[in-house]
Amino acid sequence: MSISTNQQRMPSDAGPVQTAQVPAWTAPVGAWRMLAQRRDAPKLPKGLDAAWDAGVGLFVPMVPRRGRYLRRAERVLGMEDEYHGLAGSALRERAVQLRGLFRLGREKTADVDCALALVREVSRRELGMEPYREQVAAAVAMVDGCLVELATGEGKTLVATMPAVIAGWRGRGCHVMTVNDYLAKRDATGLGKLYSACGLNVGWVDGEMPPPDRKRAYDADITYCTNKEAAADYLRDRLQLGRMRGLTEALVEKINHGGMGGVDRLVMRGLETAIIDEADSLLIDEAVTPLIISTEVPNAEQDQAFEQAAKLVSRLEAEEHYKVNLRYRDADLTRGGKAYVAELCDGLPGIWQSPRMRDELIVQAITAKELFLNGQQYVVQEGKVVIVDESTGRLIPDRSWRHGLHQAVEAKERLEVSPAKDTMARVSFQRFFRMYRRLSGMTGTAWEARHELWQVYKLPSVRIPTHKPCIRIQHGDRVFGSSEARWTAVVEDIRGVHKSGRPVLVGTRSVEASEKLSSMLTALALKHEVLNAVRHEEEAGIVEQAGQPGRITVATNMAGRGTDIKLGPGIAKAGGLHVISTDRNESGRIDRQLYGRAGRQGDPGSAIAYVSLEDELVRKYVGGASRRASKRSGDREVSGSRMSRLFSRAQARAQRLARRQRKSVLKSDDWMEENLGFAGREY
Amino acid sequence: MPVDRPTFSESWYRVAELKPRLRSLVQSYRQRYRGRTWHVLRDSANNKFFRLDEASYHFIGLLDGRRQVADAWKVCCEQLGDSAPTQGEAIQLLGQLYQSNLLDADLPADAAGMFERFSKRRRKEVGGYFMNLLFSRIPLIDPDHFLDSWVKAFGWCFGPVGIFLWVVLLGTGLWALTGRVEALWDQKSGILDPSNLPWLYVCMILIKAIHEFGHGFACKHFGQQSHSGGEVHTMGIMFIVFMPLPYVDATSAWSLRNKWHRAFIGAAGMYVEVAIGAAAAIVWANSATGTLPHALAYNLIFIAGVTTILFNANPLIKFDGYYILSDLLETPNLAQRGKDYIYYLVKKYAYGVQRPRDPSHSPGERFWLVVYAIGASIYRVFISVSIILFVVDTLKYMGILLAMSGVIGWMIVPVFKWVHYLLANPELHRVRVRAQLVTVIFVTVLIGGLGIIPAPYHVRGEGVVEPGRIETVFAGADGFIDGVLPSATQVKAGGVDLVTARNHELQIERRRLLAERGLYAAYYRQARSDEPAQAQIVQGQILAVEEQLSRVDQKLAALRIQPNFDGVWVSDKADRMGGMFAKQGEPIGVLVDFQQLVIRVTTDQYVGPQVMRHSGEGSTVQMRVRGRPEVLLEGRVVKVLKAARRELPSAALGYAGGGSIAIDSEDREGTRAQEPFFEIQIEPVTESDVSAPLYAGQRVVARFALPDTPLLKQWWLTIRQVIQQRF
Repeated sequence: MSISTNQQRMPSDAGPVQTAQVPAWTAPVGAWRMLAQRRDAPKLPKGLDAAWDAGVGLFVPMVPRRGRYLRRAERVLGMEDEYHGLAGSALRERAVQLRGLFRLGREKTADVDCALALVREVSRRELGMEPYREQVAAAVAMVDGCLVELATGEGKTLVATMPAVIAGWRGRGCHVMTVNDYLAKRDATGLGKLYSACGLNVGWVDGEMPPPDRKRAYDADITYCTNKEAAADYLRDRLQLGRMRGLTEALVEKINHGGMGGVDRLVMRGLETAIIDEADSLLIDEAVTPLIISTEVPNAEQDQAFEQAAKLVSRLEAEEHYKVNLRYRDADLTRGGKAYVAELCDGLPGIWQSPRMRDELIVQAITAKELFLNGQQYVVQEGKVVIVDESTGRLIPDRSWRHGLHQAVEAKERLEVSPAKDTMARVSFQRFFRMYRRLSGMTGTAWEARHELWQVYKLPSVRIPTHKPCIRIQHGDRVFGSSEARWTAVVEDIRGVHKSGRPVLVGTRSVEASEKLSSMLTALALKHEVLNAVRHEEEAGIVEQAGQPGRITVATNMAGRGTDIKLGPGIAKAGGLHVISTDRNESGRIDRQLYGRAGRQGDPGSAIAYVSLEDELVRKYVGGASRRASKRSGDREVSGSRMSRLFSRAQARAQRLARRQRKSVLKSDDWMEENLGFAGREY
Repeated sequence: MPVDRPTFSESWYRVAELKPRLRSLVQSYRQRYRGRTWHVLRDSANNKFFRLDEASYHFIGLLDGRRQVADAWKVCCEQLGDSAPTQGEAIQLLGQLYQSNLLDADLPADAAGMFERFSKRRRKEVGGYFMNLLFSRIPLIDPDHFLDSWVKAFGWCFGPVGIFLWVVLLGTGLWALTGRVEALWDQKSGILDPSNLPWLYVCMILIKAIHEFGHGFACKHFGQQSHSGGEVHTMGIMFIVFMPLPYVDATSAWSLRNKWHRAFIGAAGMYVEVAIGAAAAIVWANSATGTLPHALAYNLIFIAGVTTILFNANPLIKFDGYYILSDLLETPNLAQRGKDYIYYLVKKYAYGVQRPRDPSHSPGERFWLVVYAIGASIYRVFISVSIILFVVDTLKYMGILLAMSGVIGWMIVPVFKWVHYLLANPELHRVRVRAQLVTVIFVTVLIGGLGIIPAPYHVRGEGVVEPGRIETVFAGADGFIDGVLPSATQVKAGGVDLVTARNHELQIERRRLLAERGLYAAYYRQARSDEPAQAQIVQGQILAVEEQLSRVDQKLAALRIQPNFDGVWVSDKADRMGGMFAKQGEPIGVLVDFQQLVIRVTTDQYVGPQVMRHSGEGSTVQMRVRGRPEVLLEGRVVKVLKAARRELPSAALGYAGGGSIAIDSEDREGTRAQEPFFEIQIEPVTESDVSAPLYAGQRVVARFALPDTPLLKQWWLTIRQVIQQRF
C-alpha cells in the first residue's frame, strides 16, 4: 500500500533529527497512550444546551483574566532575585523537584509560579533573554489553557517555552505547533539549550523525515512540528492500527496472538498537550481544511472525462448556457445549457450518457474555468497546479482541491491530469485539535474570534498588553473607484516613502497582484523584493531584511510569519517601517496581522490600506452597494468613513459565512459519528 | 450546491470497504404505491418498519456480507444509471438502517454507540410522556399468542361470509331504529346523566376493547392469508385527555401487499363496533324504556355511532380513518409528508431556496398532500383549542398547567422552530435575507391586516318574539259571568263584548239607591217650602246618593268588557266561565296584538352595554329565526333596558328551554339566569313578510353591528372573556 498525503508526502529520505537521550520506557507507554487516545472529539451541544453554551461563550471573554495573569506575572518576577542567586546545580535540582511534582500532577499554583520563574532564569542564563512581565503573564494564561493575544513582535517563541517546559515535565508529550517546518527546526534547535537545562529533550518534525526519526521526535519531551505533520502522523498511526480501535482490542489481540499488531510501528504517543502558534489561523482559518491520507487510483477513463469536459465547456457560452454566482462561488447550467450539453454529448461513450454525471462534470469544468483563475486561486509551476491560499496569498504545494476539482483545473490548463485519489483517512484540523486534552495557543489576533474559540475549542481568549506602548500610526483606508487608480496611488505612496529612506512592506492578496505591482515598480526602476513562492528559509531571510533602509518588499500577506522585521539603523528616527496593504482581507484579523508588522516592540511605524471598489471582497459580499459607488466615483478617490464601513460590512458578512460553514462542518462530523457507527469511529 | 445529487461523497472512504448486510431477522415486503415499487423492511424483533425505494433496495440487496459497499455501489450505478443512489445517499441510507438497528456490519459491534442510541431513545420516550400528557400510550401485553389461537374462530368475520352477515345485521339494526328516531334523539340528554356515567364508561371500555381486538384479528387474519406475518405484539392503554382506553399496535399491516387488506385492518375496529351498535339497536328497540338492558343498549349505540364518526373515522386525526385514507390514497405517511410538502412549497416559492427536497413521489399525490395538510392543520387548531378549554374547565389549576404545556407544544415551539430555521438553517444561506423578508412581510401584513384594519364587528344575542301589545283582561267588578267571547277571536277596538256579566246585588242596590234618591227628592221639595235650612242638608244627601249611584253604574258597566285595541282575544277558560262568579280583578283572558310584535333579546354583560353605547335605540339589527337560518330579518332597536336583570322574559331562552343562557341551578322554572343580563327590545321592520312571518314565541338570534374593530382586537377580547368566564 502506498500512502501519500494530500498535504504531505510520505517521508522518503532521512532528514536531520534533533535527538536527545530518550528513556527506554517511553515507547511502550506512549503506544498504550496512543491506543487509549480518545477518538471522538467532544460533541457540540444541541438545542437548549447549545443556547446555554453560546450564552456562556458571551460571558467567558468578559471574565477579567488579564489583570489576574499580570498580577501573577508580577509575583513570578518577584522571585527573580531568589533564582538569580542559585548556582547551576541548585537550579537543576529545583528543576528535578518541580518535574516530579508536575509528573504526578500534584502541582499547586505556587509551583507553577516557581516553575515559570525557573524557566525565566534559565532563559536568562542560556539564551540571554529574560521574559518580561507581559510574556510571563501570557505564559501563565497558557498554562491555564487560554488563547493569548500577543501583539506581533512580542516574543511569542520565548513565551511558548514556559508552558512547554511545564508540559514537558508532565511527561506526556507536548506538541508546539509552528507555522512551517523551517520555524519548527529553527525554534527547536534554537531553544534546545534552554530545554536541556530544564532537564528536557526536544525534537522536531519536518515533512521529509522518515518514521523512525519522527518517532524519536515525538518521543521527546517537547516536539516542535507543524499542525500538518502532527495531524498526518496521527492519521497514519490510526491507519496503522487499522481495526484495532482501542486499548481493549489491542490487549485482546496481545492475549490472543501475542503480537502487538501495528503497535510497535506507531509514531506518536497520544495527543496530550498542544501549544499552537498563530492559533487563529490554525483554529479558525484553516479549521475546516481536512487533512487527507489517500492512495492514488489511476483511472484512465476518468482522466479522459475531465479532459473531455474541459473541451466541451469551451463551447458553452456564459449566461446563455450557464450562470456563475460570484458570491457563493458556484456555477450552474441553465435549462438551455443542459439541453445543449446533452446534444454535444450525443455519441460520446459511457459516463457521458448519464445526465447526472455528465452535468456534474460539466458544472465542475465550468467552475474550474470561471471561478478558478491562474494567479489567483492557483499558479502553474513545473507542470503542476499549485494552490494559492486565498486568505494569505501564499502557495501551498501538495494541497489539492476536492471532488475532482483539481483534475478539472488541470484539464483546463491542459496539464497532465493527476490520478484520482481514494481517501483512506481524513480529519479536519478543527476536529484534530479538539482531541487534544490540553490546548493553548498564542496569536497576534484572537479577539475577533473569541466567541467561536470558546464554543468550539473551549479556549478562553486573553488579551495581553504590549510591553511597550504601540506608537504605530494607523492611517485610514484610502478607497478608490477603480483598481487601476488604487495601484497608481500605491506606487505613488511607495515612491514617496522610499524617498525618505524608510523601508516599505507591501502586502498583496494574490500572486497575480504581487506580480503586477512588481512590474509597475520595475517600470519606475524601484528596486524591490517579491515574495510569493514557498521557500521558508529564504523568505525568512528576506523578511528579516525588510526593515533595512530603503528596502521595498512586496509580499503576500502572510509571508515570513513568525519572523521579526528588525529595523535597520536610523530607521526608527525616520519613522520606522511603512506597511501598505493593497487589499482588505475577508477577515479583519489578517489585516491586523499585516499592520502589526510595523511598529513592533514600541518602534515607530505606519500602516495604511489601499482598497478599491472593484476588489473581490466588496464585490462578493456587498455587491450592489459597491457597484453603485464604483459607478459614481469612476477613477476618483472616494475615501471616507462611509466607504470604510462598506468594507467592514463586507468583512462581517464574509466572517459570518465562514463561521456558519465551520459550524456546519462540525455538525456534519457529528452526524457521521452518530450514524456511521457500524463503520467504526472516525480517526 | 451546484449539483442536485453529487455523485461522490467525501466520507465515502468510511464505508467503502465495509461488508455490511441486513440483519438476518429483517424481512422485506414489496409494495406498490401509485405505480412505484417500494420495499418495506421489517425488523421482526421489534416490529419496526423501514420503507425503501426501488433503487435503495437494489443497493441494499446487493450487500450480502461478502460484497464491499463500494462494489455494490458500482454495480448499482452500472445497472440503474442516474437513479442509483449517490455516494452521499448511500451513506445516509446505511446510517439510517444502522440507526434502526437493521444493519449487521462485519466489524465488532459498537456497543457504546448502541447503548447511547438506546438511552437516547429511552430519554425521548420518557420525555414524550411528559411532553404529551394528554395523549400518552403505555404498552402492556403481547396479545400475539392469544390472537393466534383464536384467529380461526374469528377470522371468518373479515371474509365474505362475515361481511354478508355484517350487512344483514346492520340492515336489521337500522330497520329496528326506523320510526323510533325521535325516541333515540330524545334519550340523548340522559347519556351524560351522572347516574349513567359509570355505565357509559364500562360500555366504552368494552366496546373499544372489542374494537382493538377487531384490528388485531383482522391483522392476523390477512397476515396469515397472505403469509406475511401480521404479528400483533403490543397492546396497552392510551390516555386520551386522561381517559384510559385500550389500544393495539397493528403496524405489521404495513407489510401487507394488498392495499384493501391494509385499509380493512384499519377499518376493522369500526367494522366490529358498528356491528355491536347494530345489535344494540335491536335490543334497544325491543326492550322497555327504563330497564337496564335498554339503557345499556342505548349507551352502546351512542358509542358505536358517535365516537366512531367523530374520532375513529375522522381522517384528520391520527386514528383509524387516517390510516384507511392514506392506504386508499396510496400515500403512506400522509400527515408528515403533507406537512413537508407545504414546507417545500413555501421554501421553493416564497423563500426561493434552491433545490429544496420535494417530499412528493408523484404528481398525483401532491393534490392530496396539500388538501390533507391544510385540512389537518385547521382541524388541529380547532381540536387543540377545544381540548385546552376542556382541560381547563375540568381540572382548573392542574388544567392550566396542562393547557400551558399544550400551548407551548402546539404553538410556541413551532414558532420558535420557525424563527430558528430562519436564523440559522444552512439551507437558507443564500436566500436568508429573502426568506426573512418574506416572513416578516407576511407576518406584518397578517398582523397589520388583522390588528389595524377594522373589520365588521358583530355581537349576538338570543331573544324571543313577543306580541307588541298584550293586555290581560280582568273582571271589572264582581259578578256572575254571562258570556265570554270564545278564545282566539279576532276583535276590534270597541267591538263585541269580550265578557258580559251580571250582578243582582248591584242592580238591587241601584234600585234601592234610585228609590232613596226619590225619597230624598220628596224630602227636598217638602223642606224647601217648610224649612229652607233643612233643604240645604237634604240636597247634600241627594248628591251623596247620586254619587253612590254613579259608582254602581260604573260597576255595572264594568261587567261588560270591550276590547280597547284591535287584537286577538285569548282566554283559556272562556268556555268554562259561563255562570261562574268572578271577583273584581280576576284575570279572565288576554287581549293580544299579534300584528305588532316585539323581540326581547337578552344579551350578556358584555354585549348589552356595548349595544347601548354604540347602537342605541333606533339602530337596525339583523335577525335570524332559530330553525330557519335561511331567513334574514331586519329590526330596529326600540328600547334598551338600562339595568341588568336576572329574570328571563321566557324560559325558552334558558338552557333548560334549549336556549343559550345558563340558568340558575336552584331555579325550578328555568327563568332565572345564572348571570345578570340586559334586555333589548327590537321591533321587526320587514313586518309580516309573507315568506317568513314572525310568530310570537319564536326564538331569534339578533346580530348587533358594533363599530368596525380590527379582527385581532376582537379575538383578543373573546379570548379574555373566555378566560375571565372560567376564572
